Amino acid sequence: MNRTPVSSSNVASVGYDPNTLTLEVEFKDGSVYQYFDVPETVYQELMRASSVGQFIHSNIRNNYRYAKV
Amino acid sequence: MPNSPTYLGTVQDVQGATISIALDKDTVSGLAFIDGHGYRIGQIGSFVRISIGFTDLFGIVSQVGAGAVPEALAKVEPYGYRWLKVQLVGEGQRSGEFKRGISQYPTIGDEAHLVTEQDLTRIYGRPDAPNFVRVGNLASAESIPALIDIDRLITRHSAVVGTTGAGKSTTVASLLVSLSDPGRYPSARIIVLDIHGEYHAALNDRATIFRVNADETHGEQPLFIPYWALSLDELLRVTPFRGLNDADRAALVEKVKQLKLASLQAQARNGVTIDTMTVDTPIPFSIHRLWYELHRYVCATHTAQGANQCDATEAIEQGSNGQPMLGDIMGVNPPRYRPITSGGPNRVYLSGALLNIRRQIMATESLLRDTRYDFMFRPGPWCPNPTFQNLDAQPAQDLDALIKSWVGGDKPITILDLSGVPVSILLDLIGVLIRLLFDALFWARYLPEGGRTRPLLFVLEEAHAYLNAGNEGAASFAARRIVKEGRKYGVGAMIVSQRPAEIDPTILSQCGTMFAMRLANATDRSHVTGTVSDNLEGLFNMLPALRTGEVIIVGEAVHLPLRALIDAPAKNRRPDSHDPKIYDPDANGGWNRQKQAENYARVLEKWRSENPRGTNNPGGNP
Repeated sequence: MNRTPVSSSNVASVGYDPNTLTLEVEFKDGSVYQYFDVPETVYQELMRASSVGQFIHSNIRNNYRYAKV
Repeated sequence: MPNSPTYLGTVQDVQGATISIALDKDTVSGLAFIDGHGYRIGQIGSFVRISIGFTDLFGIVSQVGAGAVPEALAKVEPYGYRWLKVQLVGEGQRSGEFKRGISQYPTIGDEAHLVTEQDLTRIYGRPDAPNFVRVGNLASAESIPALIDIDRLITRHSAVVGTTGAGKSTTVASLLVSLSDPGRYPSARIIVLDIHGEYHAALNDRATIFRVNADETHGEQPLFIPYWALSLDELLRVTPFRGLNDADRAALVEKVKQLKLASLQAQARNGVTIDTMTVDTPIPFSIHRLWYELHRYVCATHTAQGANQCDATEAIEQGSNGQPMLGDIMGVNPPRYRPITSGGPNRVYLSGALLNIRRQIMATESLLRDTRYDFMFRPGPWCPNPTFQNLDAQPAQDLDALIKSWVGGDKPITILDLSGVPVSILLDLIGVLIRLLFDALFWARYLPEGGRTRPLLFVLEEAHAYLNAGNEGAASFAARRIVKEGRKYGVGAMIVSQRPAEIDPTILSQCGTMFAMRLANATDRSHVTGTVSDNLEGLFNMLPALRTGEVIIVGEAVHLPLRALIDAPAKNRRPDSHDPKIYDPDANGGWNRQKQAENYARVLEKWRSENPRGTNNPGGNP
């Protein structure tokens, strides 16, 4: 999946696959997580958020199932 | 003997198997009478006989007139219209029988003769041989039956091609009636894949009919294809689980394997042990249980986080009776989970399952609820019905009963009427059907029930719909396997199509016998001509001008290419494929009938029940 770099204190890059509704997040420590069943609107909100790291923490981390890649 | 009445002319030019004959100046072109029979001289597709010593060579007239003049002579003899071009096809001893192929060639000056009915009988006739069936009469000599060698016809495969309305279905029906003659071939075994449900009427008393939404009052039997008989790949193709990524797919394979293993432990099955079982082995397992357990694995919520989750931590809601709402496996009703919370003492977490297949699970839920797919996912006596008390419940019947009902029934022909199968899975389903039967007969090839002792003929109707070139679907794959390997295991195919150009050329070229009916489209014609081994383009140029019911048969099942008129079956044996009448002289229908009171409520009822004959709702109005 192609990830776009974002400017954030702890997130390095974010990618999204609309076919499988998978959000992929690379953190600054190098770990990559995939979040499942994330709607595209949530991804768009994430990309517009003033703080990407905070948005992930409050809206994604506990709301979607995930797997570490 | 230039004054023999059959004398036509002399050979003037030999090029391989193509020879040119100059008609004798005294030969009348037109009608000749020999032994009281009239013969037309120089008809395309008619035969000539060339005597050389003790052998007679036989050839087919492919061109007549000025164009048939050998190129070198065209300038010298511009008016050379009295020429015949002939393709040699075989030879016969003066007394012996006719053989394909030429051992010696004619040379200049050899006499060419008209072929009389007596000669034709020698070539074609052996009506008494038990391995020949009659399909009609020669178009050129109606007293001579057109005979087909059924050994070659079935094991070397065949194709019936022709434009809509040229008489394909009638030809197939007529062939099937001859092949299933209980007096001659009591153990005949034929399976017809009938896409449009045309053959009920024609073969009613000879055939068992299997149909989705069967009308059992008319003797039809329900068609079931148990999903667990499919290989894993086939199963994935007909469910929403197609196109999973590698990790998710591996997990699914493992899950199916576990279920099959549990089933095998619950009931041993002959021929397979726990060690030899694979995920593709046809062992019953419940797809409803697979769905239910995947749902609980992926969609459940838990009172513990990630790695600490187990069955006991599942946060299932309690119903009004205080019992957990576990849902229902066969009712395709998932458990109710408590929603996740973001804090507090009884915090509820999402499942930590690492599979990204939630949407596929949801789609499977609606698939299993869709009654149109019940023939596959709730296959009657072959459906395991797990309950919470008995998760490893086994189906009432095993596959042997299914195979027996298809190829071991009382009647020689089995019609699998696929007209009620949803189009989206039709192609895969045909592939599965062929594969199942082929596998069964393949592995049983040394048994009396197997294909070598009791061969099976597959009739693939409307083959262009599922055997087209470039279609890598299961149907194409399975059919290719039959035409390539079927001969060794006693499985033959008869491919019936109106668009031969759309059929995979590999499949068409493996068909040893070709029944070509009228074909107007040039692309179709060139495809058919290209697959025929004989040098018979002249004969195939007749294809656009054939009459309805007239067929050119070439290939292995006939000694010589022959043009025949197929016997029209009796009125009660006609396939249900004739065109509706726009102008009906009897005024039973069509646009010339007086308008009648119509009831569109019953139109809607048929549409909703998806059943043109009966109704799926026995309680409803008839």
